[in-house]
Amino acid sequence: MNKIPIIIDEKKLETDPGKTILEVCRENEIDILTMCHLKGVLDIGACRLCLVEIEGVNKLLSACTTKVAANMVIKTNTERIKKYQRITTELLFAERNHVCAVCVANGKCELQNLGYKVGMDHIRYPHLFPQCEVDTSHAWYVMDHNRCIMCTRCVRVCNEVEGAHNWDVMNRGHQVRIISDFNTAWGESVTCTSCGKCLHACPTGAIWPKAIVQGQLEKKPGIINELMEKRKMKL
Amino acid sequence: MDKRKIMISPVTRIEGHANITIELDDKGNVSDALFHVNEFRGFEKFCEGRMYTEMPTITPRICGICPTSHTLASVKACEMIQGIQPTYTANLLRRLMHIGQNLSSHALSFFHLSSPDFLLGYDSDPAKRNIIGIAEKFPDIALRGIRLRKFGQELSERITGKKIHIMGIVPGGMAYPLTEDNRKALLEWIPEAIETVQIGIGIIKKFMDDNEDMVQTFAPSATLYLGTVGPNGEHELYDGKLRFIDEHGNILQDQASPQQYLDFIAERSVNWSYLKYPYYKPFGFDKGFYRVGPLARLNVATKMRTPLAQAEFEIFKLLNDGKPVHGAFYYHYTRLIEALSDVEDAERILNDPQVTSLHIQHHGRWNYEEGIGSSEAPRGTLFHHYKTDETGKLLKVNLLIATGQNNPSMNRSVLEVAKQYVHGADIKEGMLNRVESTIRCYDPCLSCSTHAIGKMPMVVEVKDRNGAVIKRLERF
Repeated sequence: MNKIPIIIDEKKLETDPGKTILEVCRENEIDILTMCHLKGVLDIGACRLCLVEIEGVNKLLSACTTKVAANMVIKTNTERIKKYQRITTELLFAERNHVCAVCVANGKCELQNLGYKVGMDHIRYPHLFPQCEVDTSHAWYVMDHNRCIMCTRCVRVCNEVEGAHNWDVMNRGHQVRIISDFNTAWGESVTCTSCGKCLHACPTGAIWPKAIVQGQLEKKPGIINELMEKRKMKL
Repeated sequence: MDKRKIMISPVTRIEGHANITIELDDKGNVSDALFHVNEFRGFEKFCEGRMYTEMPTITPRICGICPTSHTLASVKACEMIQGIQPTYTANLLRRLMHIGQNLSSHALSFFHLSSPDFLLGYDSDPAKRNIIGIAEKFPDIALRGIRLRKFGQELSERITGKKIHIMGIVPGGMAYPLTEDNRKALLEWIPEAIETVQIGIGIIKKFMDDNEDMVQTFAPSATLYLGTVGPNGEHELYDGKLRFIDEHGNILQDQASPQQYLDFIAERSVNWSYLKYPYYKPFGFDKGFYRVGPLARLNVATKMRTPLAQAEFEIFKLLNDGKPVHGAFYYHYTRLIEALSDVEDAERILNDPQVTSLHIQHHGRWNYEEGIGSSEAPRGTLFHHYKTDETGKLLKVNLLIATGQNNPSMNRSVLEVAKQYVHGADIKEGMLNRVESTIRCYDPCLSCSTHAIGKMPMVVEVKDRNGAVIKRLERF
């Protein structure tokens, strides 16, 4: 297949058509912030952290869902992008109840790392402090909606990789929630196989094993892509 | 009868979380004193709905001085819910970290906060009556005090990587082992730490000799005492059974399981303070005031666990012919005897061949709906009591904190000091400092602000019955 020329951050590159901007950036060690992206499952452009500027396009586009085209000129680190990344991060923290100090994922949390990366020293928006449920009904795992950022990685991994489709989404706006089956307690789900893939896919302390406490959490999001690659090899 | 009130506000340095009202009768004599705690935090309420296994992480955030005690009480409650016990090595490491916290807290209380009163004098210039004043006049003592605290904090840091709000104490044991390098590094501290504590004991003993009248009459409330003891009545901080004694030293309860605490302790709310009033249940609210903390622990103990501390303990016991010592001032002395025991015990543990073992955690899961854990925090016996549903979600949390248990006695001690130093509207700076010092004897954790350099800002107002201010004294 013929390569196509593109320019990212004034760097001339040649790449295969059909790839997303995010894929090309990662291949060329160009740092792009992401939260809803998880290698191995479909991208949905939900978190809006991977926004890039494309010459000739007025609005910012998400790198994870936009495919490269010949002669595309892309910018990933302009002041405008940095401003939006900071806003998005602050809104993620303000929407639910993120208390890093007592969170099981403290020190191993993608959201916490994001805050450090964008230099979030304070949050300019009023916290909503919603009353969120902590679903402890599963025998092994906890789903704490206080810490969920609605990246839906759990939903996609459960559907696309495990094939169980236990997780889904209900409501809209700030009332949106991850649900198990048709909004039943996780422990009462008839579809959940208790495989634990959602635990590894979750970027925060929203899904965690009951058996561990702060400092013991080990999430391995990389295993999702490994699984998919192995399946392809068998096919 | 015409009543007048003296208001001391705020007692604490920064937040102003506690006020004192001293009520005068129509002759200008003190008739009552109310120690108001104005701070409300609501930990028991907002922990409801969380998983019980999160409590060892959440509850240490109550306090930056005694987080390890909260973690220990919490993991013990979790272990009761799971029905498991920690490993031998985990117990050693927990004990070591608890010793470190106790030592650090006692060093802070004595060298940073209280030694200015003893070395510079209660009525010396308030601007210099602080650790900076000590550093200027007695630089070696100030440095030793700071290093003793550092040693205490290193005992946690070298095991878990953190000085305060430690991680790593988990249900069933510990998440991190102690390495051989860290064990050796900690052992190197022992000689200096023992020497520093003994210097502190020398300071307090000299002060007690020079100020015998004041020490004897300094808030000598005769109360009951509660403390944790080992199987033979020995002094215990980490794990043991409860002992209650009366004001004459008679044992009221012995070897009582902390899980039975509700059989002995009840709490009552008052309408002028957020702090509850716990009391010894069999004696009722009016006669059941008891104290916890270093003074209580040494009053209830039959002996210490280590030789140097035992020698000092025997001198302490002679103060009242083997009966309980009631003066609030002796909290300082007992704190240092405990510190001596801490350092000696740390040496014993660090020399235990099992201390660096990697067998540090037993694993368990939810089995029971209720868990109760206790530990001896620097300020006294601490209880955590959790009730969960069958999934491990917390339905009810009760935290019985040491300072809460000292609350009724603190109130009474303030009243006794006020009776000695307040007569009508005649209030002097010395009185303010003595009221403050009385509270500091208990080293209360209702606010970390008493752990601050310098003087406490106070406003004392003498009010008549209708609230009109007839005299005002300020100190900022």
